[in-house]
Amino acid sequence: MRILEGIRIALQQIWAHKLKSAFTLIGVIIGITFLIAVITIVEGVNRYVQDDFAGALFGVNTFTVVRRSQVSTGPESEERRRRQARNPYLTMHDVEVVRNAVANAWRFSYSVDRGFSQVSYNERSRKNIRVIGGSEGYETMQGWDIAEGRGLSPLDERKSLKVAVIGADIAERLFPDLSPIGKRIRLGANRLEVVGVWEKQGGLLGVIRDASVLVPISTYRQTMAWRRDRVEEIQVKMRSTEEMEGAMLEVEAALRRDRKLKPDVENSFWLQTSSDLLGAWEKINRILFVALPGLVSISLVVGGIVIMNIMLLSVAGRIKEIGIRKALGARRRDILLQFLAESSTLSVAGAAIGIGLGIAMGKTVDALTPVPASVPMWAIVVSLLLGLLVGVGSGIYPAYRAAQQDPIVALRYE
Amino acid sequence: MTVPNDIVIQTHELKKHYQMGTELVRALRGVDVQIRRNEYIAIMGPSGSGKSTLMNLIGCLDTPTSGEYILNDQPVQDLDDDELARIRNREIGFVFQTFNLLPRATALHNVELPLIYAGVSARQRIERAKEALAQVDLADRMDHKPNELSGGQRQRVAIARALVNRPSILLADEPTGNLDSVTSEEIMTVFDALHDEGQTIIMVTHEPHITAHAERVITLIDGMIESHGAQVGSPVVGA
Repeated sequence: MRILEGIRIALQQIWAHKLKSAFTLIGVIIGITFLIAVITIVEGVNRYVQDDFAGALFGVNTFTVVRRSQVSTGPESEERRRRQARNPYLTMHDVEVVRNAVANAWRFSYSVDRGFSQVSYNERSRKNIRVIGGSEGYETMQGWDIAEGRGLSPLDERKSLKVAVIGADIAERLFPDLSPIGKRIRLGANRLEVVGVWEKQGGLLGVIRDASVLVPISTYRQTMAWRRDRVEEIQVKMRSTEEMEGAMLEVEAALRRDRKLKPDVENSFWLQTSSDLLGAWEKINRILFVALPGLVSISLVVGGIVIMNIMLLSVAGRIKEIGIRKALGARRRDILLQFLAESSTLSVAGAAIGIGLGIAMGKTVDALTPVPASVPMWAIVVSLLLGLLVGVGSGIYPAYRAAQQDPIVALRYE
Repeated sequence: MTVPNDIVIQTHELKKHYQMGTELVRALRGVDVQIRRNEYIAIMGPSGSGKSTLMNLIGCLDTPTSGEYILNDQPVQDLDDDELARIRNREIGFVFQTFNLLPRATALHNVELPLIYAGVSARQRIERAKEALAQVDLADRMDHKPNELSGGQRQRVAIARALVNRPSILLADEPTGNLDSVTSEEIMTVFDALHDEGQTIIMVTHEPHITAHAERVITLIDGMIESHGAQVGSPVVGA
């Protein structure tokens, strides 16, 4: 009953002094808003990475053979990358070894790539692009859709034709008002005819694709390659995860045999799957989830201190009221509970406002970015509990001070 | 000591001392009083006589330094804070000179307050509070806040609040001190009515025309009883 009384009074006070209440609750509101917003966005990115990103970038049931691991997630993997710096570059011979090891692959391709300072058409140019030389089947492997024109054909590859498919960003930049198809773009000393444009990928990694130029690998070798034999990546796609796991073992065994690696020696190559990238994200995730409670705690502690101070002021200004209540029969614990209820209601109200703001931020992120952000229910429950905790923690000292008042002295106030 | 059992209040050698800095103040130096059910008592005395201290002790707002205080056959001088609070809630109805209502609560909620601390259910509380307000003719003002009521009305709310838990005694400290003469008379009429209905009333005052309403006047000087104001024919303890 005293608790209801406390809650009632607290709500009355909050409403009657909206500006003062807003300042009182700012610490708690900020802490909770931050908590909700980050959890929502992290969960959203999680889902995006798992469902869209990894799948789109890598394709399911796909693995690539590369010279060294491309993803670094911390000191161990850094160390590993350093050792792998001595790994030999992949060559066409490796391509044959791998191809023979996975005769039942659903799709198979290989590629080389490099950065290029710019691609231009007449006076327009786009800087810092990527040039990829892809074997037959490369585009199908990647699953990129053509927006205009066509993709590369086996004829292009066989005759080493000087043709290219360009990404959406390059198309926009070089050909803002006309169709790129049939035009000749310049890559360094080379001129290539544009035969197709990819659909815009967007998103976290799509921006790289949008600024890429794909040419047949034979053309690449003739015009741009340092070492004609070199291969950057070998891509293998299987029909199922089990098949993929089996295929990876086969490829690993075949390459080790071919390179005559002793059993106790590490691989001189690296097999990469989408789970590597997911692993990297998991690490970031974990770091965030450790840093987040720390930051939120600081905010909540500050918020709690503010509430405590406001409550102390409130108690100081209501000494007479406490005296009256005690004269009417309120025990120490009744007064304690009343003020504790007030501070808790304040704090939970702040948490509720923070939850509202956090949800709004989440919805904004959801609307403006590809990240699907929606607030998980557990985050709301945790926030409310945190609000309660802060309320009780910050209110206990002021409530104690209130309860200790001598009724006779208190009644004489004012 | 055996006493007849319609004695509500019995004190024996009640003393109260306290420290004011380095000085020891003897507010009460051994007070014996006896108050029977349905008596209407006035307590008078100049300032510093100890009448406020006596009232605080009778009202269980404080405990004596030494001596006995028996309220309704129960010794209360050694009770702890929580027990005193309970006694205040059940047995004592305070009426103050400055009304002492909660300014941001309605008249009804103010009257409800003792019932909240008594643990009475919400529905019963509202009913009983309404009854108490009706008793002082303020049923139509129960949703008003104190600042929407006149001085006399506020005091009547305070009286309703004091009565709502059916206390053994009504303890009024200069209840008309902040009221004009007309309103004072109204309030005294309320007290008279309550006395007629069987209430035991103890009123602290320094105004002689107020004491005229009482049956008996206890006078204090320098922390001791100067006179019990006994009426002809009624028994008195000590002397």
